[in-house]
Amino acid sequence: MVKSWHSKLTSSLFVLPYFICFAAFLLFPILYGVYISLHNFELLSPEHDFVGFKHYATIFTPGTYLNSLFFNGLWNTIQFVIYSVPLLIVVGLGLAMLIQHLPSKLRGMFRTFYFLPYALSASVMSVIWLMIFDTNSGFLNSLLMKLNIPAIPWLTDQPWAWVSLITTTLWWTIGFNMIIFINALNQVPEDFYEAASLDGAHAWDKFIHITLPSIKPVMLFVMITSTIASFNVFAQPFLLTRGGPGDSTKVLLINVLDQAFIRKEIGSASAMAILMALLIMIISIVQFRLTYGNKGEES
Amino acid sequence: MSMKRIKTLLLVLLASGIAVVFLLPLVWMISTSFKNDFEALSGKMNFIPLKPTFDNYIKGFSGELMNVPILQWITNSLMVGIAGTAIVLLIASMAAFALARLKDLPLRKTLLSMFIASLMIPGVLTFLPMYMEFNALGLINTYAALILPYTAGAFGVFLLYQFFISFPKDIEEAARIDGANKWKLYTHIMLPSSVSIMVTLLIFTFMGIYNDFVWPLYATTSPEMRTITAGIAMMAQGSYTQSYGKLMAMTAAAAIPVVVIFILGQRSFVKAITQSAIK
Repeated sequence: MVKSWHSKLTSSLFVLPYFICFAAFLLFPILYGVYISLHNFELLSPEHDFVGFKHYATIFTPGTYLNSLFFNGLWNTIQFVIYSVPLLIVVGLGLAMLIQHLPSKLRGMFRTFYFLPYALSASVMSVIWLMIFDTNSGFLNSLLMKLNIPAIPWLTDQPWAWVSLITTTLWWTIGFNMIIFINALNQVPEDFYEAASLDGAHAWDKFIHITLPSIKPVMLFVMITSTIASFNVFAQPFLLTRGGPGDSTKVLLINVLDQAFIRKEIGSASAMAILMALLIMIISIVQFRLTYGNKGEES
Repeated sequence: MSMKRIKTLLLVLLASGIAVVFLLPLVWMISTSFKNDFEALSGKMNFIPLKPTFDNYIKGFSGELMNVPILQWITNSLMVGIAGTAIVLLIASMAAFALARLKDLPLRKTLLSMFIASLMIPGVLTFLPMYMEFNALGLINTYAALILPYTAGAFGVFLLYQFFISFPKDIEEAARIDGANKWKLYTHIMLPSSVSIMVTLLIFTFMGIYNDFVWPLYATTSPEMRTITAGIAMMAQGSYTQSYGKLMAMTAAAAIPVVVIFILGQRSFVKAITQSAIK
């Protein structure tokens, strides 16, 4: 008895250090966030009155400042998701297939080229593209001038602002999806294609009837991770367009952090953050369910 | 045969064209970093600077003109990245070892599912309360604030758990018969055999911390505490957008450590990504 009690204790000690960090920097913040969202919490004021669900109610009351802050931000985020996710999937898969069809000696090199920007931080990436998109002296507009095309206000006019943000996002992160697709394509058995070739199938038929069904689970995974990542978009509009022109690229996360750190209203900002997190989790749960549903069918 | 050759040639040409698009911004960054401000803003598209200069690097690193402690920022980022990664490797491997191999661990299944479920929690949920937590502890603008939040991530536990759970049982039992206790088992059997997966986790974690942007931007308030990512972001929002040469020199300096690690450790990094996708 004593020995088993002792053994359980020593086993627990191995998990303890991580568990302390997990509790202090994940579990506690989640609960504390709920607490904050139920109070009038201002960054610099020591008094926090309990207000219940007032912040949540205000967010859902049309005409209030919080309402427009949340839903305008959400709409801008959703636009970014709609523009970026299909491209992140299609271009990612396209690059993976291109690399697959290259002579094997060249594959590693091109994979590294396309994946390299992923190693950069958000700020390094943004600064490079700020310079390229610069209206007056940027690389892109210099190029257009050479071709006698008038300069484009890449970051300060719509729809160019979205075009620029999506371009940089693709350049920066597409390598991640590409790597996952390359791995998935490698696992499609070669004889599937050979059998199809004997039946006289063309490249397009093979893609539709062999490639796509074989990589379906991975496709869903990429869809989920890309959607979540795009929902969390912050650095690109924060650094490149600064939310502009107007408020048109002020995505939800920018508005949450502005409410917390510029207007110093942590209470209502936390309510917005919790709603945003719930939305992301609902989307990922729905997509996970889809994944599991498909796995069930296959087995 | 020759049809196939032509097809391959066209594909290589296409791949090369795309590669130019991917690499051109990086080459332009390097090229601009060797130009003086006048040339950088001239709108000319020359990749070879007309009057190449090291001034941007020299002045940037010495803190002259720029008025930003760039070396301090890089040091901060390296310190925070190394310390955070070391802690993650230690506590995640211990926890993963216990969860996978020590069956008498109380609440083993509950803990495991809790840790895995936490991978689905979006960062926005913990960001503000974490800030308030560090603020209440008086730790905003300290190294503690820049390091500790990364230690709660469950990715390392998840990755190493998968490795330890598939570890052959005979080796473990042989060691136990030889009288090895749990700590010995962990340090002498498990750790030495997990070097490759640990390197994977190391690269993944270090790059994640070194490149993190939003948290250090808000968790630091004084210039000398900033990490390089937060520092570069502050510069980009300030008046430095009119000195692209200097900005690019500092940006290149910021990118070099992590690009080197990325290229050297690409295999491991790819492994971590694909593993997270398969499971």
